[in-house]
Amino acid sequence: MMNSDDWLLRVEDLSVHFRTPRGVVQAVDHVSFEVKPKETLALVGETGCGKSVTARSIMKLVPEPPGEYASGAVLLRNLKTGAVTDMLSAPMDQVRATRGDRIAMIFQDPGKALNPSLTIGRQLAEVFGEHRAAMLLTQAGIDPEKGPIGSGSIASQRAGVLRRNFFHLTRRGHSRAIRAAVDDAVMSALSDTGIPNPRKVMSSYPHELSGGMKQRVMIAQALACDPDLLIADEPTTALDVTIQARILDLINDMQQRRGTAILYITHDLSLVRQFADRLAVMYAGRIVESGPALEVLKSPQHPYTQGLLAAIPRAGTPRGKLAAIAGSVPQLIDPPAQCHFSSRCTWCAEACTSHIPKLIHMPGDRDVACLRFEQADSIGVDPSDMPSHVASAEVVS
Amino acid sequence: MQVKQYLIRRLALLPLIMLGVSVIVFTLTRFTGSPVGIYATPNMTPDEVAALEERYGLDEPIPVQYAYWLGGLLRGDLGWSGVSVAPVTDVIGLKMAATLELALFAALVAIIGGIALGTIAGVRRNKAPDHAARFFSILGASTPTFWFGLLLLIPFYLWLDWFPLGRSTPEIFDSIGHPTGLYTVDAAISLNPTAIWDSIRHIILPAVVLGFGSMAIIVRMMRSSMVETMSEEYVDAARAKGLPEKLVIKRHARRNALVPTATVIGLSFGFLLQGAVAVELIFRWPGLGQWVTGAILSGDQATIMAYVLVTSLIFMLVNLAVDIAYAYLDRRVVLGS
Ligand SMILES: Nc1ncnc2c1ncn2[C@@H]1O[C@H](COP(=O)(O)OP(=O)(O)OP(=O)(O)O)[C@@H](O)[C@H]1O
Ligand code: SF4
Ligand SMILES: [Mg+2]
Repeated sequence: MMNSDDWLLRVEDLSVHFRTPRGVVQAVDHVSFEVKPKETLALVGETGCGKSVTARSIMKLVPEPPGEYASGAVLLRNLKTGAVTDMLSAPMDQVRATRGDRIAMIFQDPGKALNPSLTIGRQLAEVFGEHRAAMLLTQAGIDPEKGPIGSGSIASQRAGVLRRNFFHLTRRGHSRAIRAAVDDAVMSALSDTGIPNPRKVMSSYPHELSGGMKQRVMIAQALACDPDLLIADEPTTALDVTIQARILDLINDMQQRRGTAILYITHDLSLVRQFADRLAVMYAGRIVESGPALEVLKSPQHPYTQGLLAAIPRAGTPRGKLAAIAGSVPQLIDPPAQCHFSSRCTWCAEACTSHIPKLIHMPGDRDVACLRFEQADSIGVDPSDMPSHVASAEVVS
Repeated sequence: MQVKQYLIRRLALLPLIMLGVSVIVFTLTRFTGSPVGIYATPNMTPDEVAALEERYGLDEPIPVQYAYWLGGLLRGDLGWSGVSVAPVTDVIGLKMAATLELALFAALVAIIGGIALGTIAGVRRNKAPDHAARFFSILGASTPTFWFGLLLLIPFYLWLDWFPLGRSTPEIFDSIGHPTGLYTVDAAISLNPTAIWDSIRHIILPAVVLGFGSMAIIVRMMRSSMVETMSEEYVDAARAKGLPEKLVIKRHARRNALVPTATVIGLSFGFLLQGAVAVELIFRWPGLGQWVTGAILSGDQATIMAYVLVTSLIFMLVNLAVDIAYAYLDRRVVLGS
C-alpha cells in the first residue's frame, strides 16, 4: 500500500505535543495514514483522542506554542504535476497557498467558524481574493499583469500587491467590473450548495442565518476553489438532527460531482458505514486499526475497535455513537511506554505493559496495532508474557 | 436607516436630560451658599449687600431663582463670570474649544496608542512586547496625572526647553484666523507653517499626559479581547482559507476585539474631561478646567454651573457616538433595544 503512487495525502509518523503547565500532552503520537484521491477516509475515536489535532496538523494549523510538531511529515501530492509538498516543513507562503485552495476544512460549529462582523459575501470573497485574484481580474476584463495598480514593476511583485489590495480596489469602486466578477464567483459557490437565495445570503451577517444555512455557507467556502482534499471535522455535531442528514447528503453529493477526497472525522459509526471508503480508529493519540471501512466494521481486529462495535446496540436503528467501554481514556501527559489501551483491555498481558505495539500490516490492506499480532521473539519477550492470539471476533450488524 | 432613527430619538431626549441636569446642578450649587460674593466688594455694608441680593433676585425662594436662571439659559444668558470678568457666554466658547482640542488630541493618543499596543500584546501573548505593554499599562493606570505632568515638564520644559507652556504663542495665535476655534485645525487651514508648528509644540506634552491614563485602560481591554478573539474558531477558519497572518489579525481578530474596547473608549472620554482639569492647571492650558478651578476657588457659581452643563452635554454626545460605533462594529447589536 505504501509504495503505490496513487495517493493524495500521506501523513507519516506525525507526533504533535502540547506544552502545558501540567506536562507535555502527547496529543498525536506517531500517526501514519494515507488518503487516496477521491476517497473518503473516516477517522473515529473517543473524545480527546487527537482527531482534531491530527486534522489541524494537515493544514499546519496547530497553534505553536503551546503546540509543537514533534516528529513526522504531512505530504501532499499535486495530482497534476506529481510534486510533493511537506506541509510541516514547507515555507509559510507555500503552506498558505495550499490552504483554502488544495486543502479546505469545515468546522464542527459553523456558528463559531464564521466571523460575526463580516458579511457572508465578504468572507467568501476572501477565498477568491487570495487564490483566484488573477482569474477574476481577467474575467473583469483587466489584464492581471498590467492591473489597475501602477505600472512598471515586476509582474510577480504586482501579483503580491494585487492580492493585498484586492478589496480596497473593489471598495473604492475603482473597478465595478472586479466587484461584479467577485460577486458572480461568490454567488455561484453559494448556489452550488443549494442555498436558495444566494444574493440575500451574500449580504447577510452570520447571525441572520440558521445553523444549517451557516454550514452550507461553510461548505461553499471550503469548496470554492475546488480543493483536492476536504477535511470535515464533525461537520454535523452542532446541528439539529433533521438538518444533519441533509448536510451529509450535500457533502456526499459535492464529492461525487467534484471528486474531492474527504477526511471525515466523526463519532458516529453508522455514518462511517454509509459514507466512508476507509476507516482509521484512533485511541489516545495513536491509530490502533485501519482498513477498508466495511471490512473493519465486519471483522474488527483490535480489542478497542471490537469494544466500540460491541457497544453499539444491535437491534433497532443503526444509529450508534461511540458508547462507553469499561474504564477511561488514559492520561496523554507523559504516558508510560506501554499499550495505551492496556488498562481497559481484556486481553492485556505482561508484555502489553512494557511495549508499545506497532502498526502491523495485515492481509486485505489492513493495519492493526496490538501485541496479539506481533511475534514474541521480534520484540524480545517471553512468549508466555504475550497476549494470546485468538481469531478475530466477527461483529455483524 | 435604523441608525438615523435611533440618532433622532436620542437627540430628542437630550433636552429633557439636560433639564434634569440643570435642576440638579442649580440646586446643589445654591446649597453651597449665595453667589452674591462675586458681585459684592469687601467694603460694602450689609444693607448694600442685601440690596444687591434683591436686585439680582437672590432673596427669592430657590425654585423661583431656578426659573430666572433657566429663563436666562434659554435666552442664551448664563450669567456673569466673575473669574473672567465677562459674561459666561462670551468666554465659554473659547474655553470649550481649548479643552475639546486638548481632549481630542489626548483621545487620539489614547485610542491609537491603546489599540496598537493592545493588539501587539494580545497577539504576542506572554512574549516581551506583551510584558512591556502590560507594565506600561499598570504604570499608566497608577500614575496620577498631575505627577506625570510634572515629571515630563522637568526634563522637556525646564531642562531642554523643547516644549513651551500654555496653548499658543499669542502673536502667532493672533496672526491667523480661527474659523473652528481649534488652534491646530485653524493653523492647518491657514497653511501657515509657523502656526502649525506652534500649535503642535504646545499640545503634544499635555495631550500625552492627559491621554496616558486612558491609553493604559484601552491597552488592557484591547489586549484581553485580542487574546480572546485570537482563540476564536473563525480566526483559525480565516487561516484555513489561506489568508496571510497580517490580514487574519487585522480583519478577523482585531475587528472583533474592537467591539468591547469601544465601550471602554467611550467611558474613558469622561475620564479625559476630568483629567483635563489637572493637566490644564499644570500646563497653563486656558480651557474649561483651568476656568472652573478659578471659579471654584472664588465661589463663582455662574461659571461652575456653566461648566457642569457643558461637560455633561459633551459626555452625553460622546456616549451617543460610542453607541453608534458599537452598532457598526457588532452587527448583532440592535440599537435602542
Ligand atoms: N491548544 C491546546 N493546548 C493544550 N492541549 C491541547 C490543545 N489542543 C488540543 N489539546 C489536547 O490534545 C488532545 C487531543 O485533542 P483533540 O481536540 O484532537 O481531540 P478530539 O479527538 O478532536 O476530541 P473531540 O472528539 O472531543 O473533538 C486533548 O487531550 C487536548 O486536551
Ligand atoms: S497490545 Fe495488549 S493491551 Fe494493547 S490492545 Fe493488544 S492485547 Fe490489548
Ligand atoms: Mg475534535
